[in-house]
Amino acid sequence: MTSLTENAGYPLAPSKSYQVCTRCIMDTVADQSISFDDDGLCRHCLRYDKLVSARHLRGDLGRDALQALVECIKAAGQGREYDCIIGVSGGVDSTYVAWLVKQHGLRPLAVHFDNGWNSELATKNIERVLCNIKIDLHTHVVDWDEFRDLQLAFLKASTPDGEIPTDHAIGALLWKEATSRGIKYIISGMNFATESISVPEWSYGHSDWRYIKDIHRRFGSVKLKTYPHFSLAYLCYANVVRGVRMVSILNYVDYNKERAKEILCNSLGWKDYGGKHHESIYTRFYQGYVLPRKFGIDKRYGHLSDLINASQISRSQALAEMKRPPYPEDLQQQDLAYVSKKLRLSPQQFEDIMRAPIKSFRSYRNLYEPVQLLRNTVNGLRKYHFYPR
Amino acid sequence: MVHARVIPCLLMRNGGLVKTVKYKNARYVGDPINAVRIFNEKEVDELVFLDIGNPGVPAIPNFELLAEIASEAFMPFAYGGNIKSIEHVKRLYSLGVEKIVLNTAAADQPDLVSAAAALAGSSGVIVSIDVRRNWMGKYSVHVAGGTRDLKRDPVEYARAVEQLGAGEILLNAIDRDGTMEGYDLELIGRVCKAVSIPVVAAGGAAHLPDLRNAAGAGASGLAAGSMFVFHGKHRAVLITYPEYEELERLFK
Repeated sequence: MTSLTENAGYPLAPSKSYQVCTRCIMDTVADQSISFDDDGLCRHCLRYDKLVSARHLRGDLGRDALQALVECIKAAGQGREYDCIIGVSGGVDSTYVAWLVKQHGLRPLAVHFDNGWNSELATKNIERVLCNIKIDLHTHVVDWDEFRDLQLAFLKASTPDGEIPTDHAIGALLWKEATSRGIKYIISGMNFATESISVPEWSYGHSDWRYIKDIHRRFGSVKLKTYPHFSLAYLCYANVVRGVRMVSILNYVDYNKERAKEILCNSLGWKDYGGKHHESIYTRFYQGYVLPRKFGIDKRYGHLSDLINASQISRSQALAEMKRPPYPEDLQQQDLAYVSKKLRLSPQQFEDIMRAPIKSFRSYRNLYEPVQLLRNTVNGLRKYHFYPR
Repeated sequence: MVHARVIPCLLMRNGGLVKTVKYKNARYVGDPINAVRIFNEKEVDELVFLDIGNPGVPAIPNFELLAEIASEAFMPFAYGGNIKSIEHVKRLYSLGVEKIVLNTAAADQPDLVSAAAALAGSSGVIVSIDVRRNWMGKYSVHVAGGTRDLKRDPVEYARAVEQLGAGEILLNAIDRDGTMEGYDLELIGRVCKAVSIPVVAAGGAAHLPDLRNAAGAGASGLAAGSMFVFHGKHRAVLITYPEYEELERLFK
């Protein structure tokens, strides 16, 4: 397996001299475009310090703002069966959101995107939690033949965005359920405290249907008839004309992952599956096998650095964690066999995919500039409190 | 096994899982391979796969998919749908299918039931009896996905297939399929009294007490589709299966 790693661009001897941040664990290996200030603080930590006060409200400030927001959501949902939509995956963040909105007396509809890779634990968690706190569920099951074709197309495209087909569809599903049911608020589990670090080279395309379509046009073969997708125009329509808002509720509370897990385990019968986003077998495999081995990307650098900035773990804990494999080696091999089989790839075909030269979204048609413009606009509006956090 | 067998009954069409209501309106519910994997971890006793095909389109069993299912499933499973010859039967057994389910074939070529039983023993042969009530409340056996009325009484038909060598009967109440209104206990009672082979009831289960009621009416196996693939009032697709302890308590 080492040969794979060497071939595929783990820069064993980094071209520029090695440097690691003095606060988090981001370094010149994890992020090749990283920069540092004179004190040795990396650009991610600097960005965190700059934005944290605007994006994450703590303590009383957060409580008051959340209370005001809850009142808005309730008022907008009056006379309707549901006043907000939450996405559920069975993982910590989304489950904690479910618990939190119920605590605040909201009436959520849970929406789940089933892409054919659910683990048993994920489905069990969804079942247990929603039964225990009495939240109705709507599931969208993607057509497996279509979705398999799209996931395979992304593998063949050789960009590190293999999780985009899922992320994009979840977004599409949430916006569409909200607009079609007349629900004004989507409550998301995104949070600044534990997922602020993003390296552009790690992943791109959540909102870029043009990019997804182009990859599918080149490498796919099954027509996408039912795959949920959205254009930027639709996103503007949902936001501006229909007035649907996406709120990251965890930015209003002191969100601590370990404490959240405790609450979920003790009061909702939720079970920990270990590892971020490991509720999906494909995500686990993509992030723990394909990304590190083929692209030299290990997202744990980002997750753990976030937790350091949020004071939820120490730097030495994070470094110790990075010494371990992304997930247990025997499970990686099991997943490799299962994923190949499910995608109908022979071991050789999978190996060829792992060895294919790496590309980026820039090799394909995309809407990078408009997407960035839209993102910056929303962030700008957030700053002046014209858009919820 | 201390309690009655509780069996998820999964319908397939074009390689995907679907669920019907009264044998109509098939709704897509996902990929069979992942479903098998989830049921594995839920320690399900056994599974039944029925390929309901496309109406009017002649087809043969999807051997490739069944081989994949067999390689993934920890539990024994039964398969029915498009089985038309003893060659099909042989190939299915060799793929690792534990039991074959005959419906239309059992009516059209009764010899196939006997031949299959001779091949693998009665325990490997299930005859599926699909029953619909007519407007006068009289039961009648149907085949071909409920589209052809044999105009035969299920009790008499059940005795006949037992004679042919069927080791088990899968008794479907078409009118209850996918409705989640509870099993047709009268039908189950009548058929179970008439035969000595095990009868697996299907059609209508929604809650655990339904399973107990059907067992009380004489069924030795309880099959359900909607109950294990749908969740809550929006019939959201979510695979579930009762915990072992729950089943023990239920049948105590």
